[in-house]
Amino acid sequence: MEQLILKDFGEVVKTVTFRVRRYDPEKDDAPRYEEYRVPVQKGMTVLDGILYIKEHIDHTLSARYSCRMGICGSCGMIINGKERLACQTQILELGKDLIKVDPMGNYEVVKDLVPDLSKLFRNHQNVKPFIIRDEEEPKGEYLQTPGQRERYAMFTDCILCGLCLSACPTSASDELYLGPQALAQGFRYIADNRDLGFEERLNVLDSKHGVWRCHFSGACSEVCPKGVDPALAIQLLRQVMTTNVFVRFKQKGTETGPERKSVSGVS
Amino acid sequence: MTIENKKGWISWFNPFKYGSDRWMFALHRLTGIVLGLYLIAHVWETSNILNGQVTWNKIMVDLDYPFGVHFGPYILSLVLVAAVYHAFNGIRLTIVENGLMLPRPYRPEYPYKAKSLSGLNNVLKIVLGIFMIAVSAIGIIYIFTGVII
Ligand code: HEM
Ligand code: SF4
Ligand code: FES
Repeated sequence: MEQLILKDFGEVVKTVTFRVRRYDPEKDDAPRYEEYRVPVQKGMTVLDGILYIKEHIDHTLSARYSCRMGICGSCGMIINGKERLACQTQILELGKDLIKVDPMGNYEVVKDLVPDLSKLFRNHQNVKPFIIRDEEEPKGEYLQTPGQRERYAMFTDCILCGLCLSACPTSASDELYLGPQALAQGFRYIADNRDLGFEERLNVLDSKHGVWRCHFSGACSEVCPKGVDPALAIQLLRQVMTTNVFVRFKQKGTETGPERKSVSGVS
Repeated sequence: MTIENKKGWISWFNPFKYGSDRWMFALHRLTGIVLGLYLIAHVWETSNILNGQVTWNKIMVDLDYPFGVHFGPYILSLVLVAAVYHAFNGIRLTIVENGLMLPRPYRPEYPYKAKSLSGLNNVLKIVLGIFMIAVSAIGIIYIFTGVII
């Protein structure tokens, strides 16, 4: 069998400096920066660099990660001033000799690069991210055409990394703001033709810290590693809300508005 | 113990590293605040007419020549550009923030460039940008020469 030889594989291309923000709740009063020299191989990600530091230079450095392939949403950080997944950011592609790594903003910091994401999950929970029905027990399958699925499918790609809340300038000054992630998920369920929970979600979405707080700076969509485009979901959600005043549930991309009655065909 | 890591209001004015929409947001907020402050100053300034013609004329000259230099037209031009930007971008925001001229939900494809920040939204930015430049130019020419074109 022919062996696949990767050219330059494992070769150190250059050495870069990692400037990492450190904060140890047991020792430090305020965060500080520490620098590490990291040899970079082709294909090495920022997460690999952090793990190199942890293994070879400073074992006390903390970061959160799990899948290393951009699907668990654990490794969100601010890398060279922009929110990115550490495991999806190649060091060589950044093209810089200095890699500045900060924990995500607008969250509390547990230690070093580990943010406390409870705010994100609380907001997510508050928009009721599940299909709400009027009947107690499903009486059959809830049918959906491919076109009806297309209306929300892209927003299901969210991996709850929370990068969008860190990039959002409204979240930066209003800690109660639901944030792009939760608002996009609110729209994802409202746009789902099987869902009947529009009214139930109104008190959260249509509130002072809800959908109207967005200023469409687009930063969330700019940093989202999954292309969820939460800014689009928020503006479409607003459209649903405003047009709902005149035409109940009229919605972009639908001819007559989604069928809000039971779609099981049974009840 | 965790520490708070809020970016705070100062980060409104840090649009670097993000896209054009983020820049326009920062500028919109900045010009909105500037116009608000200008409005207050403007009301104070014109209210001086109540103190008689002499005071009014003196204030007019003082404002036209701050620190003894003829800065007046430059300051007025800046306020004009801020107002023009804020007004035209405000029209764009009114459109897109109601979900108009945005794409329908689509299938994200690597490298995941957000379509809500481009497409017709970009067309709006360019068209309104041309208006901004034209109106600002007419206004500035008027401020400096008194000629309306
Ligand atoms: C033609 C006139 C104007 C239009 C079309 C307009 C439009 C807008 C719009 C659509 C917003 C909301 C932006 C967002 O959602 O982020 C806004 C915000 C704002 N406007 Fe205006 N505006 C105008 C004039 C003024 C004037 C004269 C002032 C000052 C007295 C002003 C001060 C502000 C401020 C302080 C904000 C808040 C900034 C922000 O939310 O980012 N605007 N304007
Ligand atoms: S919308 Fe994008 S950036 Fe925000 S939490 Fe979901 S995957 Fe992360
Ligand atoms: S480690 Fe799972 S997304 Fe980066």
